[in-house]
Amino acid sequence: MKRRDVLKLGMVGLAAVSFKSIGCSGGSYYVGQDISLNITEALFEMVDRKPVYMWAFQDPNQPDPMKAGPRVPGPVISVIEEEDIDLTITNTLDENHGFRIPSAPGRPDVVDFGTLAPGETKTIYFRAPSAGTYMYFDPLNSPVNRVLGLHGVMVVMPNNPLNRVPYSHPTANVQALFDDLGTTAEFPGHAWEPSRSRIWNLHSIDPRWNAKAQAGTPIDSGQFQNGFLPRYFTINGKSGFFSSHDMDTALEGHVGEPMLVRIVNSGMATHSTHLHANHFFVLAVNSIVQGNVFMVDTYPVRPLDRVDWMVPFERPPDIPVHPNNPGQFLRIDAAQELALSFGGVRQSPLDYPMHCHMEMSQTAAGGNYPLGMVTHFTFTGDVDGVPFPHQG
Amino acid sequence: MALQTIQRDLVTPEEEVKFQKFISPPKDNPDTPDRLKPDIEFYRKLMVGVDLNLPSRLPDGTDKVKMMVIADDAPKNRLPEQFPSPLIRVRQGQIVHVHADGGQDGHTIHFHGIEPTPMNDGVGKDSFEIGSYTYQWQPKHSGTYFYHCHKNTTLHVELGMYGPLIVDPPEGPGYVTGYNLPGHLIRYDVEAFWAADEIDTRWHDLQHNAFLTHSGHDPNDPSTFTSDGILNDFRPNVFVISGAVRANDTTPITDSRVAVKAKVGQTILMRVVNAGYTIQQFSFGLDADVIAMDGRPLGVPPTGKYSAPFRLSAGTPFRLTSAQRWELIMRPTRTGTFPASVDYFDWVTGKKLATARSQITVA
Ligand SMILES: [Cu+2]
Ligand SMILES: [Cu+2]
Repeated sequence: MKRRDVLKLGMVGLAAVSFKSIGCSGGSYYVGQDISLNITEALFEMVDRKPVYMWAFQDPNQPDPMKAGPRVPGPVISVIEEEDIDLTITNTLDENHGFRIPSAPGRPDVVDFGTLAPGETKTIYFRAPSAGTYMYFDPLNSPVNRVLGLHGVMVVMPNNPLNRVPYSHPTANVQALFDDLGTTAEFPGHAWEPSRSRIWNLHSIDPRWNAKAQAGTPIDSGQFQNGFLPRYFTINGKSGFFSSHDMDTALEGHVGEPMLVRIVNSGMATHSTHLHANHFFVLAVNSIVQGNVFMVDTYPVRPLDRVDWMVPFERPPDIPVHPNNPGQFLRIDAAQELALSFGGVRQSPLDYPMHCHMEMSQTAAGGNYPLGMVTHFTFTGDVDGVPFPHQG
Repeated sequence: MALQTIQRDLVTPEEEVKFQKFISPPKDNPDTPDRLKPDIEFYRKLMVGVDLNLPSRLPDGTDKVKMMVIADDAPKNRLPEQFPSPLIRVRQGQIVHVHADGGQDGHTIHFHGIEPTPMNDGVGKDSFEIGSYTYQWQPKHSGTYFYHCHKNTTLHVELGMYGPLIVDPPEGPGYVTGYNLPGHLIRYDVEAFWAADEIDTRWHDLQHNAFLTHSGHDPNDPSTFTSDGILNDFRPNVFVISGAVRANDTTPITDSRVAVKAKVGQTILMRVVNAGYTIQQFSFGLDADVIAMDGRPLGVPPTGKYSAPFRLSAGTPFRLTSAQRWELIMRPTRTGTFPASVDYFDWVTGKKLATARSQITVA
């Protein structure tokens, strides 16, 4: 199917092609085949407002001034499988940089720009790979240039929007799961909608190395790897309260509204991402759609890993079911709790965390728990579409 | 050209109450809402000191580590204070009440993998920290879990505030839910629970509130509420399995909490949790079937409909990161002493830090 036809289908209301609603906090969405990114630099305030120098990607064609600045992670590249892409990268800095998008392990790269000299612009044509979650980054002096800020996510959507699975060649078990969502007793509610998607770009920052880059001091990658002590932990560039309340990062919905989460780790630490309130299904790891689809509450994301989850948004299973509530509505089973508040904040809607369980990642500047790698998972209503009372 | 500064988001006046609660949750003693009559009850007291004796002195002369645990607090037949904290064992479908005493300081209990309402989930910023409270939940899925404090979690779990949690199928101990037609029950004879952990003794000299944020200040001026520290810098120097300290990389732990004894023809159920902050690589010298992960049996509908159990041949290593739990079934066919071990790897450098060894003795 051609992009034009896919977009036409979108016009007639098929949610599967609502590319604009692919959740991300990169803030830029590419639906055109011509993509440009500049490699630049900026100071980024951490959660404690300490500025850290970072190398960053910037979209020179972004019309929205709120999104036009340098970004870490870089803008999300969103393309359709088998689409022909012209990608232009400009290195505006005064040292060499690169740009690479790896594929599945053991397979050729999707694209590799080699080296871009200071001031150099290169355009490379490539064909979008199979549907899934990819990471782009500067591979030079690995892992230094990536970790100092030059990384982002590329999402590839399948070119058949009628098949409501985010892969073109799902395994039988992944297909069965998507077929069951919203149609079986286990998963009452809705099927998965592509608009119900999030991206979590996990990252770790040791500002001592960023300061060296700012000073123009060469960085030895071996010393970097042995001496990296992460001090800030981010999801989509934010931490703590700010990643928890970021609309593009937090998970929110009614019971029965499943959500896809695309996780990448561009940093240096191995994370152990843990979701409260729901176990999730592990759909794909490093572009390999899983045959054995585990349902777990915690799953590792190693540096450079890409992991896709399906969060079923099932009723948190261990809330007691009260007598005389055959619909198992939470507004009945949690009626008293929904009416309470603590510290001036209501218990309605029902808020839970997602956080990394390698708990050092929950800190900022070595303390200040929980201003680290955390976000919210919020239930706002029941499976029949009725919002919870007392929200606010 | 001057460098552009990308500002952190600002906290608006409308968001300030939520922000203050996020960084410094309130302490409270509410009645359990939506309370039902319990089928089983437990009592727990947060942050009780226990000494962990070391098999040999550390370079600085230390021969014990001060642990802070979640102690049994039952009105009668109280269990001794221990590290890890005492087992909570319930059956699928029971209404569970855990009466918890958070003491002066305020703590919480999170039952990891159990999925109740936020007030019963033990996360302060999403509810409150406890003075005293009765946690209520009703486990829908049997399996291997653990429980831990969720306040200043980085430090509190490291100090020892965690313990094992088992949800048995309705048939009770001796049975585990796993792929096995027609009823998906597997009977076992010998059960082991490995909670592998590491200790950074520097952290055990800290106050439990070390490096916490404090509320009541300007959210947009972090210098008014932050405390910087060392909790990003984890350098474990003591390595344990289920509270038993390894002496060195080669000497097997023979402690009965860790070493497994079985007979030919028996079925061993091995429950494994990474209760630490390193990457842990487990290896068992017997063929093992991985039958469940994180309290969800593989291949057993409805949650395991899309998965299948799989075989690890003897000695095949597998890695778990913090809080992952696997259940393995082993059926020894010959007598002997079979190795069992955990390698601990740094979460950033990936370097091996230590090995803890034990064994499975088959008579
Ligand atoms: Cu605590
Ligand atoms: Cu946990």
